[in-house]
Amino acid sequence: MEYFEPKTVSEAVALLAKHGAETKVIAGGTDVMVDIKFKEEPGGLVNIKKIAGLSGIAENGAGLRIGALVTIREVESSALVREKLPVLWESCHQFASLQVRNTATIGGNICRASPSGETLAPLLVLDAKAKLAFADGEKTVPFMSFFQGPGKSSAGINGLLTENEIPYPAAGSKSVYLKHAVRGAMDIAMVGVAILLTPDAAKNNAQDVRIGLGAVAPTPVRASKTEALLRGKPLTAALLKEAGALAASEASPINDQRSSAENRRWIVEALTRRGLAQTWKAATGKEVA
Amino acid sequence: MSVIINTKINGQSVSASAEASTSLLEFLRDTLEMKGSKLCCNTGECGACTVIYNGKPINSCVTMAADANGAEIITIEGLADGDKLHPVQQAFIDTGAVQCGYCTPGYIMSVKALLDRTTKPTAEDIEEAVSGNICRCTGYNKIVDAIHIAADRIAGRA
Amino acid sequence: MAKAELKIVGSSPARMGGVERVVGKGVYGIDLMLKDQLHGGILRSQYAHAKILSIDTSEAKKIPGVHAVVTAADAPDVRYGRSYFDRYILARNKVRFMGDPVAAVAAESPAIVKQALKKIKVVYEPLPVALDPEDATKPDAPTLHEDMPLPKTIPDDAKLKNICGHTVVHVGDAEKAMAEADIVVDEIYETKMIHPQYLEPRIAAAQMEPNGRLTVWANAQAPFPVRQEVAKTLGIPLNNVRVISTGLGGGFGGKGSGITSGAAIEPICGLLAIKAKRPVMIVLDKAEETISTTIRAGARMYIKTGVKKDGTIVARTGKVFYDAGGYSGFGVQAGGRCTNMLGGWYLMPNCHIDGYTVYTNKQVCGPVRGPGGPQAAFAVESHMDSIAAKLGMDPAEFRLKNTPKPGDKIVGVPKLRDVSLGETIRIAKEKIGWGKVKLEKNQGIGIATGSWIESAGPGGGAIVKVNEDGSVTVHIGKIDMGTIPGFGIPMIVAEELGVPVSDVTVVNVDTDASPWDAGTVGSRGILVSGTASRLAAIDARNQIFKMAARQLEASPDDLEIVDKQIRVRGTPAKAVALATVATNAHNVIGEVIGRGYCDNLELMAQEKAHGSSQPFTTHACIVEVSPDTGNVKILKYVAVHDIGQPIHKAAAEGQIEGAAAMSIGQALCEQVVFDKDGRTMNPSFVDYLMPTINMMPRIETTLVAGYPGAGPYGAKGAGEIACVPPMACIANAIYNATGVRVNKLPLSPENVLRALKEAGKA
Repeated sequence: MEYFEPKTVSEAVALLAKHGAETKVIAGGTDVMVDIKFKEEPGGLVNIKKIAGLSGIAENGAGLRIGALVTIREVESSALVREKLPVLWESCHQFASLQVRNTATIGGNICRASPSGETLAPLLVLDAKAKLAFADGEKTVPFMSFFQGPGKSSAGINGLLTENEIPYPAAGSKSVYLKHAVRGAMDIAMVGVAILLTPDAAKNNAQDVRIGLGAVAPTPVRASKTEALLRGKPLTAALLKEAGALAASEASPINDQRSSAENRRWIVEALTRRGLAQTWKAATGKEVA
Repeated sequence: MSVIINTKINGQSVSASAEASTSLLEFLRDTLEMKGSKLCCNTGECGACTVIYNGKPINSCVTMAADANGAEIITIEGLADGDKLHPVQQAFIDTGAVQCGYCTPGYIMSVKALLDRTTKPTAEDIEEAVSGNICRCTGYNKIVDAIHIAADRIAGRA
Repeated sequence: MAKAELKIVGSSPARMGGVERVVGKGVYGIDLMLKDQLHGGILRSQYAHAKILSIDTSEAKKIPGVHAVVTAADAPDVRYGRSYFDRYILARNKVRFMGDPVAAVAAESPAIVKQALKKIKVVYEPLPVALDPEDATKPDAPTLHEDMPLPKTIPDDAKLKNICGHTVVHVGDAEKAMAEADIVVDEIYETKMIHPQYLEPRIAAAQMEPNGRLTVWANAQAPFPVRQEVAKTLGIPLNNVRVISTGLGGGFGGKGSGITSGAAIEPICGLLAIKAKRPVMIVLDKAEETISTTIRAGARMYIKTGVKKDGTIVARTGKVFYDAGGYSGFGVQAGGRCTNMLGGWYLMPNCHIDGYTVYTNKQVCGPVRGPGGPQAAFAVESHMDSIAAKLGMDPAEFRLKNTPKPGDKIVGVPKLRDVSLGETIRIAKEKIGWGKVKLEKNQGIGIATGSWIESAGPGGGAIVKVNEDGSVTVHIGKIDMGTIPGFGIPMIVAEELGVPVSDVTVVNVDTDASPWDAGTVGSRGILVSGTASRLAAIDARNQIFKMAARQLEASPDDLEIVDKQIRVRGTPAKAVALATVATNAHNVIGEVIGRGYCDNLELMAQEKAHGSSQPFTTHACIVEVSPDTGNVKILKYVAVHDIGQPIHKAAAEGQIEGAAAMSIGQALCEQVVFDKDGRTMNPSFVDYLMPTINMMPRIETTLVAGYPGAGPYGAKGAGEIACVPPMACIANAIYNATGVRVNKLPLSPENVLRALKEAGKA
C-alpha cells in the first residue's frame, strides 16, 4: 500500500487527481482504519493531517469557518460553537466516545457521507456550505446538494474538503439535535433529527422551521414538506401531530440490523414532535398549545 | 510501503519502521512488543486500546502508527514510578475493580486523562470520560468507586 | 472452623495478580509470542448449510511464506463433542453454520495468511437453511445431521426431527390439576442468541517439542478438556500432549472449549504446527468470534400455569425449544437445565414440561454463564407477574405465598435443607421501596427471583506445596479470568496454613503438573477447587505438625500455626519457624505436599440425606419508559443474594454485579441478528451492543447470611446466579410502568415501542 503525506492542499489535490481511484484520504482514521482492517486495503493512503490551514475555528462575518481537520472534540470544546451553533455542538457532544472524538474530524465525518453521520443533519439545517479543492480549482457546495448517496458526495474521488462555512442562524432561533440510539454512548444513530426554529418578532409564529433527518434515507435530508406545513404558523398539539406524521412520510428508511424501517418512521414522528415542542418552548417561552 | 516513525513513548525517544497500514496499537504491541495496551474490538468501540496521545485519550487501534511521528504518547507501561503505582492503578486494585483485568489498562488511561484535567469530576465528567470503555466483568460499580478514590487521593482529600 | 475464628476468609485482600494487570504486563494468551512463530488463520463456511463438494488448496500452498494449509483430510477421521460426537475440527463433507471451520493456514505474517485463505477454493452445494428451533423439528425442515439418531425418549410417531436432546419434567398429574384450577394463564416467551463477548480474543498457540510432544497454549477455561480434545482429534496419546493455560481476559463460559464442541481452535492450531514443523499462533478477531465461537442459545418457551383463587400454584405445563445451533455442543445440558428451571423454584405439586434441544444452522450453544437459567427465568418470572395480575395479587406476595419451606421439594431438587428465597424477597422489597416509593409518570417497579443448581458435576483436585522459606505454591485445575485463583484460593490456603495471603501463589494450569479438573465453569470454582484447596492445605498442615511435634516435644493436636510460626497452643514460647520445618522436610518426607480433592459423590450423598441449600436470589428495579420511543432507563437496581459464606467479599460482590450487568445487557441491547440465509448481520462491536457505563445503574448488592452451602466454610458459588433474574425483573418493571407485557427479548427500544403500539398505548 502506497502512503502519501502531502504538506499543502495543492500537493494533495494533485495526488488525488492522479491516484484518486485507488487511494483513500485519511484524516483521524476512525473510519478508514476499520476499512483497512476489515475490508480491503486500498492501493494507497493520503494522510492529510500535515496540511497547514485546515484546522481552526474562526468567525467569518456572520458565521463560522470550521476547518476540515478540526476534530469533533475541538468543535465540542469550542465555546463559540456552543453559543452560536448549538445544534452542531449537540451532535458533536453525542458523537461516539471521547476517544473517538479526540481524533475523528468534522471533515472525515462529512466526506464519509454516511446517512447516519452525526454532524450531517445539523449542517443541513444550518444551510452550511462545503469548500472543496480540486486539481483544477475550488468550488463551494451547499450541503443541501453535497450528499449524493451512501458514501457518495461532491468531493468524489479527486476532491479535498478544506473547510466548512456555517452562517449563524437568525436571531432568536432555537435548535435541538435528537439522536435515537439504544445505549446513549458509542452508538451509531438509528435516527437523527435536527431542528432549527426561528420565531417571528412577536414570538407568536414559527417564522422559519428547518428539520434535518439522519439515518432514514440514502443521504441526510431536509423534511421540506413538513417545514412548509409549519412555516408562519403558531405550533399547536394538532399541528405537531400532523407534522410528525408528515416528517415520517418524508423519510425513506431501510430495514437493517439496527432497526426496521417501520420503527425508524415511528421515531422520526416521535422525535420531530419532541424537537418541535422543545424548540418552540425555548424560542417563545410557551408550551405547545 | 514502510514508514519510519520517530516518536516519544513514556518519555523515551523511539525510532522504528512499520508498514503504513499499521495501527498505533499494532505498532505498540507487535513492533515494540509492549503488550500493555490491549487488542479487542479493533474498531474503536471498546476502549481497551486507549493510550494518551499529546495529552488526549484516543483509541490506538484506529489511529495510524505513522501519526505517532512527532507525538508524545503515554501508555499503561509509563504510569508507575518504579515500584510505586500511580494513584489510579492503586485505586483499581484497592476497590476490587480488577477482575479479569483486560479492560483495566484502557480504563486507567482514560481515568488518568480525566483526573489530569480535574480532580473533582462530576458524574457527567466520569460518564463522558469512560463511556467509550467497556468492561464485561465488573458491572462498573467498583470502577466508579476506583475513580472517586483516585480523585480523592490525587487531590489530597484521602 | 466456626466463623468467629476466620482470620482471612470473608475479607477482601488485594487480588493476586492485580499489580501485573494494572501495569500492563503481558499475562494473557493474546500477549504470547513464541520464538519463530507462524501466524494461523481459519477459513470458515460461507453457507449456513451446505455439502462440501471439493476443496482445492493448491493455489494457497504456492504462495511464498505459506508453511501449511490443512483441511479435514489432514486430520484423523475422528469426531468430538460433549453429549454426542457430532463434529469434526475441520468440516468433512458438510457445513452446518456460517462460521464452521473448513480449512486453516499457517504463514509468515497475518497478511499472507489472509491472502492464502482467499486462494483456497471450496465448492459448496447449498442446502435449505433451518434457523428457528421450533420450525426445525417439523417434518418439512431440512435435516442437519443425517446420522445422529433422535433421543430414545422421543416416540417414532411423533414425526419430529433435528432433536439432539430431550428432557422431561414430570411431577404428579399436571393435566388433571390444570383442569381443576380456578385461573389458568398461558403464555409464550422468547429469548435471542447472545455472545458472551469476553474482551480478550480467543487464541491458541502450539509447537512440536524436540521429543515429539505437542505443547499447546490456550486462553481456555478448561485446559484438561482441551488436552482431551486435542489428543483425541489429532490421534496423540494424552501423555504426549501438554496444555499450558495463560491468564484470561474474560471467558463467561464462552472460552470453555473442550467441554462444548467449542471452536476447536486448539486442535486446529496443533495440526498446523505439526504440518508446518514450526510453532503456530492463531488469534481470532472479535467479529470472527461472534460468528464462530460458542454462544448463549435462544429459546422459545411455552408456559401455562393453573392457580387457585387464593394464589396457590396447582399445576404447570410447558414446552421448550432450545436452540443448539449446528452441533450439539453444550445444548443438551443447557436445554435440560432450561427445561427443569421452567418448572420454577416455587412449590409445584403438578408439572409436565417437554424440552427439546434442536439443531439449527447457527452458532453452537456453549456453557455460557448460567446456561439455560436466564432463559427459563425470563419466562418463569415474567409469567409469575402475569398470573399475579390476573389474580389481582401483589407480585411479591404471590411469590411469597408459593415459596417453599425447609424440607420441601421443588422441581429438580428432591429436598431443600434451608430456604433463603423468602428472605431475599423481603430484603429486595425493602431496598427498592416496594409499596412505598413514589413513582412518576412512565415509571414502574419490578421484582424477579432466581435460583441455580451447582452441586452436580465432576470434582477436581488441589496440590499445596510448602517451599523451604515457608511460602506456598498451589496447583489447581481452574484458571484465572478474574476468578478464584486470584481471590478465594490463596485466602483459603492462607487461612488454613496461618501464612499471609501474599505468601501464597496459585500457578497457571499446566496439564503436566496440575491436578485434573473439569474446568472453570458452572459456579464450581469455590465449591470444587475451594474444597480441594482447603483439604490440601489441611493435609500439608498435618504433615507440618507431625514433623514439628517431634521437635517441639508435643502432640500434633496441640499445635497451631500463627504468623509463620508453629507453636504449642497456650505456650507461645515453644515455637519453630514454618520455614525451618519445611526445609527439614527434605530429610524426612522429601517435601511438604498436601493433596486434596472435592469428593462429588460425598457432596451428592450429603444433599440426598440432609437436603440442599440453593443460592436463591431476588432482584428488583425501577425503570422509566419513554412511551414515544420505547427507550428504557433503569433508575434503581437492587440484587439480594444468598451465596453462603463469601470467601473474598469484594470478589463475590463483583461476580454478582458483573453477572447482573451481563443480563441487563441481554435484557436491553444484546442480540445476534441474522438474515434469512443464516448470515450474522452484527458481528463487530459496532452493532453487537454491549451495555456501556452510562446505561448501567449502580447495582446495589446485599448478601444474605445464615444459609451455609456445600463449599468451604459454607460457601456457595457466585459466578452465574446473578445472570438469572434481570431480564424478567426489567420486563416486570416495564409492565408495571406501561401495562404492556413484552414477551420477546431484547427489551430494546424497538421491541418495547412495538409492544406499546400493538397494545394501543403509543
